This record gives sequence, C-alpha cells and structure tokens, in this order.
Amino acid sequence: MTLSDTELERYSRHLLLAEVGRAGQERLRAARVLIVGAGGLGSPAALYLAASGIGTIGVVDCDQVELSNLQRQIVFGTEDLAQPKAVAAGRRLRALNPEIAVVPHAIELRAENVGTIFKQYDVVVDGTDRLGTRYLINDACVIFRKPLGSAAIHRFEGQAMTYVPGRGPCYRCLFPDATTATIPSCAEAGVLGVLPGVLGTIQATEAIKLILGQGELLVGRLLTYDALEMRFREFPFERRTDCAVCGDTPRITVPADPTALCRDEPVPLRRLSPRELNALLKDSERGGPAVWLIDVREPAEFSAGHLPGAVSIPLAELERGDWTPAASGEIVFLCRSGTRSIRACVIASRRGIPEPSHLEGGLIAWAAAIDPTLHVA
Amino acid sequence: MPSMNCTVKVASPLRSYTGGAASVTASGDTVAALLADLERRFPGMRFRMIDEQNAIRPHIRLYAGTREIRHLADPMGEETVLHLICALSGG
Repeated sequence: MTLSDTELERYSRHLLLAEVGRAGQERLRAARVLIVGAGGLGSPAALYLAASGIGTIGVVDCDQVELSNLQRQIVFGTEDLAQPKAVAAGRRLRALNPEIAVVPHAIELRAENVGTIFKQYDVVVDGTDRLGTRYLINDACVIFRKPLGSAAIHRFEGQAMTYVPGRGPCYRCLFPDATTATIPSCAEAGVLGVLPGVLGTIQATEAIKLILGQGELLVGRLLTYDALEMRFREFPFERRTDCAVCGDTPRITVPADPTALCRDEPVPLRRLSPRELNALLKDSERGGPAVWLIDVREPAEFSAGHLPGAVSIPLAELERGDWTPAASGEIVFLCRSGTRSIRACVIASRRGIPEPSHLEGGLIAWAAAIDPTLHVA
Repeated sequence: MPSMNCTVKVASPLRSYTGGAASVTASGDTVAALLADLERRFPGMRFRMIDEQNAIRPHIRLYAGTREIRHLADPMGEETVLHLICALSGG
C-alpha cells in the first residue's frame, strides 16, 4: 500500500534521505518492533520508533507507572501514575503518531510466553532492567532468529550491542553468564535521567537501520558510553564457538526462565517490616533472642550511614562464602531497598540457614517508618 | 626492568572499590600483575572480576586497549590502558 498524503507530509524529512525514501518508509510501516521494558531505555526507543513510522510497536511491561520513573521514563506523564505501563505507553505513542498500531503486552516475559510474543515481531529491543530477563530475551532471539537491539545502563554508564542471527555474536557471547553477578539495579545504584535517552535512541537507530537494511550495525562491537567523561568507546567481540545458545553445539535450545538466584525467586524467608524489625531489636535489648543485622550493601553505602550494630558484608563477599553465620539468634539481611537483601537470603538459604530474614523495603523504608535521621546512601 | 604503569578504566559497578574513581593507575607488565596491584590498593575488587580458579568471571570482560584479555597471564604489550568492563543490568 502506498503512503497517504498525510504520511507523505509526516515523513517528508525521511523521504528526502536516499537511504530511506518512499520504499524505506513503506518498509518501516510494514515492520513490527517489540520493545521489552517500558522504562528508561524503552521510553525514548518507543517514542522515536513511533515517530519514525514503525507500523506496529509491541510494548511488554507488567509494571505500573511510579513517580520515581518520571525522572527518565519520558514516554509517561504525571497523569499516568499508577497506570499499567504498557497501556500508558501505547496511549502516548498513538497520540504522537495515530498512523501506527501499538500492542500493549501487560505481562511479565517468561519462557512460557516468549515464543508466542516474539514470533509476532521482526525486531526486538531489549530495555529490561533485570539481568535474568536479558538472557531470556537473548536466548529467545537466537532460538527464534530475531534481530535484537540491546542496551543497559548503570549510574552514568551505558552499553549497547546488536545481534543479527547468523551474522555475529549474541549477548551470551559477550557475557556468557551473569547469574552469580552482583550488579545493582538503577533502583539501588541510581541513574542519570538523561543517560537512557542516549542509549535508547541508539537502540531505536539500530532497529531502523535493521529494517531499512542500511548502514553498519553494532554487530560484534560493544559500544560503551560514559556520560561523565562524555566519551564513547568500542570493544570488539566475537561469536564464541562454545556459546551456550548460538555456539556450534548449543546447550540452550528452548528459552528457559532465569535461575532462582537471578530472578530472586521466593525461598523460605521472613519478610520483616521496619516496625517488626524494630520490635525484634527492642525485644533483643530486653534479653530476648539475639538479632544479627548483616548489611549487604557496598562499603561506601555502609560508611554513609547504617543501623547501630549492623555488620557490613557486601553481597559479593557473602557469595564468596567466607562468612560463618552465628550459632544462634535471628539473621536479618539489610540493603538499601530490599532487593539485594532478598538475594542474600537466597544465598543464606542455600548455605543451610532455614529461614533467613530481610528488611522489606530496605533502609529506605526504615528511614521512612522508624528513623528519619538515618542517612541512606 | 621496572613494571609498567597503566591506566585502568573502571566499570561503573566496580567504582565503589575505587572511591568512585572511573580511572586509576596500576603497575604491572601482565594483566595478573595489574590486578594484583589493584587488589593491594582496593581490597576485594579483584574477586568481583576473577573467580577462585583465576578465571575471568563470565559477566566481566577485560581489554588491553581494544584487545580482549582471555587469560590473566596475557601481557599488556604496548597497551597502557586496561579496561574493566562489567555487564550492566539497568534499563
């Protein structure tokens, strides 16, 4: 179908480019792009892909819009608070460009649904904020032969790479496994709001080039960006013949959900609210059972402020295993927001501690409910 | 021959060990020697990159300039910058 008069006007700056032109614009309109994660990366990627005239955009996200998202997740407005992200993003994209279709997938991407969803799209953009889901997306793209524009961010630093089936290495060739890694999320480590804007637009650019068949893609090249230094760097990497999913003899042939450690799947653990922990500590002071507070944050975070009596054992050291739990009493893991402390519980559970405890909501929740003078870095 | 001084560019998730510094100097002719020097000055940092079997962890990549380092015994050669790259999770 040829472009309408409205489309000819809307995309006129594209049509002037020999690399796009009418034929290219029609290819963009016929294309179906899936964005996994309507967050910091997914927001700018989705907005530019919609503005560019990608005919069908799918958005996978099972979360709701929170106020703390709006510092960087520019596809949402204040009026979208508490709305499902996939739906709110769809509304904004359609307002930007009513010529396109948007398909909200307000679900969590899992091994059981990834095939059904991915098969409906031509290109996948990974804007997720969980390492485990990154591997699920990568593996599914290899298995279902879908090109992937991948990026990730942390504080002031970002990375991007592109995978094209049969043409180069995948994300697992770059980082074969990260299930034992302790890499804080944006919620824990913070992120410069504009940082995902840079990386998300790179992902959108790659998706558009893929569809147009133009230019040189980030295949076999890891692009890094340091916003503080204002410097891009590039590191080559090759397909690994022993890659678990795209290697010569792949061990992963169907998508699998991330491991329990990576997904923070429930183990028998006790979730203490700040008030419950406070009561336990007071009881302990009065001669009740001992409470061992183990703060699993990074040393610098601990130094900035911690609970009285807490011991600092960063999560990485906990994983190393050079830690002997006390013989009696209750062990309570603490971190900033209650994510790392769950991982600590998973590790402790595997070390034979029957029901480790953690502070739900972390020290942020503690400061809000019990002690506003506690400085939480 | 004195050991070579190199610039080490530190991945964002590892900067808690370097007091937030993105770039530090270290001394050594091989990657192993450089990492040992880093560990002396920033205790605990090496373990975040290298496992108990002296293998580079699978979510870490090391580059001498733009040359990938697969083994700790690899020499730095003419390169004077070691890049510590870490998988990132944020989105």
